[in-house]
Amino acid sequence: MTDAAGRPRMGLWRRIRHHGGELALTAPSFLWMTFFFVVPTAIVFMLTFRPTAVDGGIGTGWTLETWKTISNPNYPSIVWRTIWLSVVATALSIGIALPCAFAMARTSAKWRSVLVGLVILPFWTSFLIRVFAWKNLLHPQAALARALHTDLGAAGFLALQDVMLFALLFGAGCLSVFLLNSWRMSSTARGKAACAALLAATVAGALWCAKLWIAFASARIGAGVCSIVPPGAPLLYNSLAILVVMVYTYLPFAILPLYAAAEKFDFALLEAALDLGARPVRAFVNVFVPGVKAGIYSAVLMVLIPALGSYVIPDMVGGPDAEMIGSKIYQRAIPDRNLPHASALSALLMLGVLVPPGIAWLVFRRRHIGATETDVVRSLGSSSNMGNSGGRRRREGGAS
Amino acid sequence: MDDFLVFKGVTKRFGAMTAVDDVTFNVKRGEFFSLLGPSGCGKTTLLRMLAGFERPDAGRIFLDGKDVTAMPPDKRRVNTVFQNYALFPHLTLWDNIAFGLRLQRRPKDEIEERVRRMLRLIQMEGQEWKKPTQISGGQKQRVAIARALVLEPQVLLLDEPLAALDLKLRQHMQIELDRIHDQVGITFLYVTHDQGEAMSLSDRIAVMNRGKVEQIDKPAALYEAPRSSFVAAFIGDTNFFEGTVTKLVDENYCRVSVEDFGEIVCFNDKHIKAGAKVYLSVRPEKMHLTHEKPADLHGGKVNVYECTVDQKIYQGAYTRFWVWRGASKDDCWELSVMQVHNRYLLDQQEIGWDEKVWLSWHADDGFMLESYAEQDEAMLPHPTEEASDAGAAPAPAPAPAGAADAEAAK
Amino acid sequence: MKRMERRSRGVFWTILLFFYVPIVVLVVNSFNTDRYCGPWKGFTFKWYDRLFHDHEIWQALGNTIEVAVGATVASVVLGTLAALAISKFKGKIQGAHYGLLYTHLVLPDILMGISLLLFFISIGLELSLLTVFLAHTTFCVSYVAMAVLGRLEDFDGALLEASRDLGANPWQTFWKVQFPLLLPGIAAGGMLAFTLSIDDFVITFFVNGAGAETLPVKVYGMIKRSPNLPEINALSTLMMLVTVLAVVASRMMQRSRNPSAKPAAAAAALPEGQGGRIRR
Repeated sequence: MTDAAGRPRMGLWRRIRHHGGELALTAPSFLWMTFFFVVPTAIVFMLTFRPTAVDGGIGTGWTLETWKTISNPNYPSIVWRTIWLSVVATALSIGIALPCAFAMARTSAKWRSVLVGLVILPFWTSFLIRVFAWKNLLHPQAALARALHTDLGAAGFLALQDVMLFALLFGAGCLSVFLLNSWRMSSTARGKAACAALLAATVAGALWCAKLWIAFASARIGAGVCSIVPPGAPLLYNSLAILVVMVYTYLPFAILPLYAAAEKFDFALLEAALDLGARPVRAFVNVFVPGVKAGIYSAVLMVLIPALGSYVIPDMVGGPDAEMIGSKIYQRAIPDRNLPHASALSALLMLGVLVPPGIAWLVFRRRHIGATETDVVRSLGSSSNMGNSGGRRRREGGAS
Repeated sequence: MDDFLVFKGVTKRFGAMTAVDDVTFNVKRGEFFSLLGPSGCGKTTLLRMLAGFERPDAGRIFLDGKDVTAMPPDKRRVNTVFQNYALFPHLTLWDNIAFGLRLQRRPKDEIEERVRRMLRLIQMEGQEWKKPTQISGGQKQRVAIARALVLEPQVLLLDEPLAALDLKLRQHMQIELDRIHDQVGITFLYVTHDQGEAMSLSDRIAVMNRGKVEQIDKPAALYEAPRSSFVAAFIGDTNFFEGTVTKLVDENYCRVSVEDFGEIVCFNDKHIKAGAKVYLSVRPEKMHLTHEKPADLHGGKVNVYECTVDQKIYQGAYTRFWVWRGASKDDCWELSVMQVHNRYLLDQQEIGWDEKVWLSWHADDGFMLESYAEQDEAMLPHPTEEASDAGAAPAPAPAPAGAADAEAAK
Repeated sequence: MKRMERRSRGVFWTILLFFYVPIVVLVVNSFNTDRYCGPWKGFTFKWYDRLFHDHEIWQALGNTIEVAVGATVASVVLGTLAALAISKFKGKIQGAHYGLLYTHLVLPDILMGISLLLFFISIGLELSLLTVFLAHTTFCVSYVAMAVLGRLEDFDGALLEASRDLGANPWQTFWKVQFPLLLPGIAAGGMLAFTLSIDDFVITFFVNGAGAETLPVKVYGMIKRSPNLPEINALSTLMMLVTVLAVVASRMMQRSRNPSAKPAAAAAALPEGQGGRIRR
């Protein structure tokens, strides 16, 4: 058994047992997933090249007709709305989630689990119910809607909404200045590109706010009343309602991964940044945010993808003027019974959802992403020491 | 008796890296045998091959005359104490210790009796119903030992068992291990990177480097008569001299010419011929520093040189000096010297920095090495590093964040 | 630092308010006499009363639980096997295996729903509770596999070696060491699968057949047919109550199962020999 003849036999036997074990463990789920995931996905793509039968079924033969009709002017606007609503909802969720994650991670361990519980609890209630709750809040008879529609009279000349929008625009302005500054400071091409992209997004958001403001203001002036929301304008059934409800339902998905990342973050780095003379906002943006980068990536993934494919939200609070791809797929598949059309839209959505993360994965897997936290602190020290003296932080520390 | 455990030409590769390279040695029955070497030298791989977790690519392992090379781990009468204990967290200490016995389907009474005896051996009676999370590191270590010993293995393998403990506990556990070894009389194969541990516990030590065994000897022989520069530098501190044998003085001594030192008298038990290039190793504590030139009482068998003190570090039991000799401080030989002192404060003639002093050592204290590799010098402590590394356990350099933390705490 | 903490805490509590206001409004409205959930018109239980007499809801609840139990059992078995395979073996096959499970995890519900619907139509399978069960099992497998994989990642491989070292063969090692230690991960995965299955609406909506409505589908139908029906508020309140109770109960259970010093100390305090009988 120990001689040279014994070994290959042993090796072969072991190999069979080894692979048999792998097969037995792998086959059940692998086959299941192939059967109920890969095959259906392939069917979706296949059906896009099938004609529609008159009875609502699938015709025989092959055609490119479906793809031609997809490019008619009705669809691009839906696609565009889907994309911008999802992106803005994702950005808002992460923007809100970052300070939340920070606050949670800085709480004592005893209270932390309570806070996590408070964040998760609404998440445990049914998704439908959470969306429905907003219908309760926003529908015309509800208290909120009536308060917003109340005529404030002459005193309401500068209504709350104007103040809010003004604040938003002001905030966007501050953010732009900050981003411009960051752009100037950052030494890497990637950093500059990121700042430029964020700047463009900020400006676009500000323009959108301004447009909304002008529309609302003119509607109110036209009606001759000064309410926060113009009379007759429903709170439900528009893009804004979708946006609010999306942020509401997907925010926990952003908070939890960011919290997980923030919990592992070494807060001494922030103290080091402050010690090196960075102001709190700068320390937060340049040290904490890069420090929880991994959390941000997964938060983007966990918010953006479901947002792109959301069906319930546009269906329940969006109305006919604010459709998204998800609701269109449903409409084509069930009420219209146009299966090739529905599968074409699904194929589009699937490509949109799977291709960008796939590319990102291919790119990032090969390269070390970005600078480490310590690098950030170091570069921060060298750049902000120019303007600040060391004494500033200590005074701030004593004051707070 | 002598070939109770035999490694014969054992080789293991991981990809392109050869972890263990053609290793051959024997361990005696009942011996406390250590494998000592820096991390990555292949000592743990060797141990894992004996335990059965790895298969050697070449060579055989014999245990008590039987070839165990291809035997699965559960069939070998060899048990392991893992580095991080590997106690089963879902079982009580009792169940952990009884795990192997239950698998052997021993009668209940026997299990009870043997587990109880083990608990007594590790002095943890009355704590058997705790879970591993509820006991300290040292206790976990003892339970891990008991769990392996209760099966009465032919060899007990210990994989850096004390590495995860703090210094005090480590010292205590060394005594404990020694006691357990004496009581059970089982062969211990002990893997460690800590030379102190290996020296104080082992009957014999195999020093490993880059997958090869450099030297196997008793602890004292390893320290006093290292055969290679690696062993000399890895175990303790030393000074290396490079030179050429110029003249044989008599049967046992020769003269070696070394740059800046002229001719050094040296013990020559290996009977190296004149003209050969040799490397000498002299331990720092064998050298002496004096203000006055010492008289030659040993008939020309003492080497005496005038040197200059470069640095001096007081370390309680002894003072460590760095002295240099050569053309200038930038182009010289630097030597490490350890002076044990008796009455430090009363000594009027304290040696200070940059003083000229006399360095001397007896010819018998210099050892000719059989092999020398220049990179081994990197293992020796250097004067600038020494200052930050005074304790026995070198603390990791504090991260910048830690420093900032301390600053903020102020 | 302090200032940053204070500011971020302010944001956090505002967000919590944002989280809970709609829910509170919903709960309050479930007791509101007003049919349109408008201003407060008085306290009533009549919506709850009406709810309890709606036998369709009870039927839907039965369907939901039936599917959830089936899907949980099936997905726990499949998911655990998948996680073991992925963690134990490396190579292209397992890479693809993991890719399949992970991609499925991030795929929007609506795509799973529509593709399964088209699949069932293509193979000519009648839509029924069976198709709902198949669909639910498919999406639950990914969650269970990820939960167990998470647990396996923290798993100390030395424990398996220790077990082998002490004389256990691979089979014994699995059942005596690996399985008991994975159990919390498997249980967590199962819990997740169960709640996700109960809560799922979109996928079920696509693949359920006539008479195979689950509770969320039923609720959706009610919302669509008569908006602002306070009965839905009442139903939602009850469903939330159940989930909150379930979460609290599982927390309590976990706490009591934690190894606290007391029982161990009590066992240790017993005279020798008796302790031996206490253990399992």
